[in-house]
Amino acid sequence: MIFGASGDLTQRKLFPALYALAYRNLLPPQFGVVGVARSDMTLDEFRERMQAAVEEHARDEFRENVWEQLADGLRYVRADLADAEDDEGIVAALNDLDAARGTGGNRVYYLAVPPSAIEPIVLQLGRRRATGGWTRVIVEKPFGHDLESARQLNEVVRSYFDESEIFRIDHYLGKETVQNMLVLRFGNGIFEPIWNRQFVDHVQITVSESLGIEGRASFYEQAGAIRDIVQNHMLQLVALTAMEPPIDFDADSVRNEKVKVLRAVHTPGPKHVVRGQYGPGYIEGDEVPGYREEPGVTPDSMTETYVAAKLYVDNWRWADTPFYIRTGKRLPRRETTIAIQFKRAPHPPFELDAGEELRPNVLLVHVQPDEGVSLAISAKVPGQGMTIRPVHMDFLYGGAFRVGLPEAYERLILDCMLGDATLFTRADEVEEQWAIVDAMVAPWKRDRPHFPNYAAGTWAPAAADELLQRDGRSWRGR
Amino acid sequence: MLENVTIRDVERELNGLRDASTEPGQPPRLRTSVMTHVAWVPERWAEAAHGVMAELGERHPSRVILLFPLPDDPRDGIDAEVDYRCFVRGGLEREVCSEVISLRLCGSRARAPASIVQPLLVSDLPVFLRWRGDLPFGSDELWQLADVADRLVVDSREWAEPEQAFARLPELCGRVHVSDIAWARIRPWREAVAAMWPAVAEAGAIRVAGPKAEGLLLCRWLGTRLGRELQLEHEPAGEVELVEVDGRPAVARLEPKSPADLLSDQLEIFGRDQIYEETVRSFS
Repeated sequence: MIFGASGDLTQRKLFPALYALAYRNLLPPQFGVVGVARSDMTLDEFRERMQAAVEEHARDEFRENVWEQLADGLRYVRADLADAEDDEGIVAALNDLDAARGTGGNRVYYLAVPPSAIEPIVLQLGRRRATGGWTRVIVEKPFGHDLESARQLNEVVRSYFDESEIFRIDHYLGKETVQNMLVLRFGNGIFEPIWNRQFVDHVQITVSESLGIEGRASFYEQAGAIRDIVQNHMLQLVALTAMEPPIDFDADSVRNEKVKVLRAVHTPGPKHVVRGQYGPGYIEGDEVPGYREEPGVTPDSMTETYVAAKLYVDNWRWADTPFYIRTGKRLPRRETTIAIQFKRAPHPPFELDAGEELRPNVLLVHVQPDEGVSLAISAKVPGQGMTIRPVHMDFLYGGAFRVGLPEAYERLILDCMLGDATLFTRADEVEEQWAIVDAMVAPWKRDRPHFPNYAAGTWAPAAADELLQRDGRSWRGR
Repeated sequence: MLENVTIRDVERELNGLRDASTEPGQPPRLRTSVMTHVAWVPERWAEAAHGVMAELGERHPSRVILLFPLPDDPRDGIDAEVDYRCFVRGGLEREVCSEVISLRLCGSRARAPASIVQPLLVSDLPVFLRWRGDLPFGSDELWQLADVADRLVVDSREWAEPEQAFARLPELCGRVHVSDIAWARIRPWREAVAAMWPAVAEAGAIRVAGPKAEGLLLCRWLGTRLGRELQLEHEPAGEVELVEVDGRPAVARLEPKSPADLLSDQLEIFGRDQIYEETVRSFS
């Protein structure tokens, strides 16, 4: 059952993901979907809309027989979850599916709704839990808007559902390259011995988008970059990069290690956090408006569209090794990368000219685009003399494996149906993430930076550069 | 040519070509990049640029981004052609492939080229910018692209007014390392003049039959080395044919180099050429 079935997420991600699973025969024949939304729609209209979404967004060709199989199990209920009477329609649709397809009372409730709608839905669902079969609840991010609200939401959800039934989704964890981070680190013998403060100079994590807010002003004005990206995706990437090897790939083993990292993150002081907001500029040669000129944004908005920070993970492995993170909208390009920059060679015996181009080794994990891993090394240019230049050893997913990468939602929806929560966020993880974010934003109430402070299409405010320059470093890229 | 595309479309096209280049059951071809090579190619230089690129790919596997500005085009958009070129290299069983992205920047899209190039740069590798024709000092396009490049490669022979352009070139040298293909062309002549030491120490005049830019560079180079101004007597010619210092001819060992050879040499230089920069500063 998808709550928020008429929304953008359902059309762009959830149905294309379900179609991809059906296409690969990964859904049981009894599978059905009840769409729930406030929009007035007939079942036929809902089917047509979802078919159009699949045709537009699915990664596979559209096959009538695959779609028919999925469409047969569709139901649609118009409901306002604040209204208890609408409950009856939902129960009827579920009973109908149980009878028609033999779903055995097994339920996945996907809450693709704004944060404010989560609590009332959970209350309704909790009060009328199915007696037979299993129940799982997927909750979309953001889970709360600060530590207190996240704790409260956790309390509500856990008063009706066991932690093993709650799947807090952060779709980044479903990305192949993010999962590959674990394989890269723990499946190869060569990296772990140097994956620590002795060999790593610093880590840079970039989640940059060239897009603006794409009509999501009401959400973004509340969230900003810190709640939209840092609280979830960014801190998950930090945790995966810094975590200790888990004893196995069991959900709790992995999540225990991630929580330890989050607990060890030293609260960054105000000098270690930079925020920005984009002004007008150019993206792909096209003139784009500043954030404050976007429809639905107040002209004096102080919402940040960019955050950079220097974090320290205070543990034995990472003491004094900075993790520089940055995320923003309307940056020059779309890129999610984890860059592990190793320390320089201690004493290069080359002449000054040759040494000029001697750059430190960088291991780059490209989460998107160009999914893969690159190692930047220095090599001698063939010929007389000693000229050195950086070269890349590339592993590209697209080149190495002749299969398309599954979308994150495919993996995560399937994992949820199978009851595997490894790639979902646990309650204590979410709370630790919020604790870090709350500490970062606390000083923001006291000062009003001059916004906008970066032009769209540039790599953000000068203060973000200074954050690294103070340490004798610079951001990757340009 | 794909019309009116976004950068995402270009990336998708590249991925498709990359996937298609691998035959089932075979290991993937090596996608090799040692740099991103950006070329700014106004319309009149398009043919020459294509010719050079055709020869260059094998020597410098890289991602090449050719920018063809068409500011007067009534359309406002980007047209793209994406090519995945594979070469057999000695000593390797597999082919080495590099990527060539040709972008026609129509209408206002020609005004902010850096915002188009930046999403396509290969991360953490040097960026070489080949600027064809005159350098439009003070224009946004030039400054923007210079700011994303590690090295700017020009050919002062292509400039309409080389003396004025040299005078302003130091503005760019402060932002990016600059290579001049004309400077590379006169290297054998500079060596020949240097070989005239010690007689050349008292030189007062230099006579050059060749392109204007090369004549100016030779004269100012010798002047900065000797620490005084020299008289230049210049005779126009397509190539440097004659260099005389105080009436004594310099004998250069010339080896013919194609435009691709000359550019190729520049793509292997990383550091600052201080002697070139000093020579150019003497025009200011």
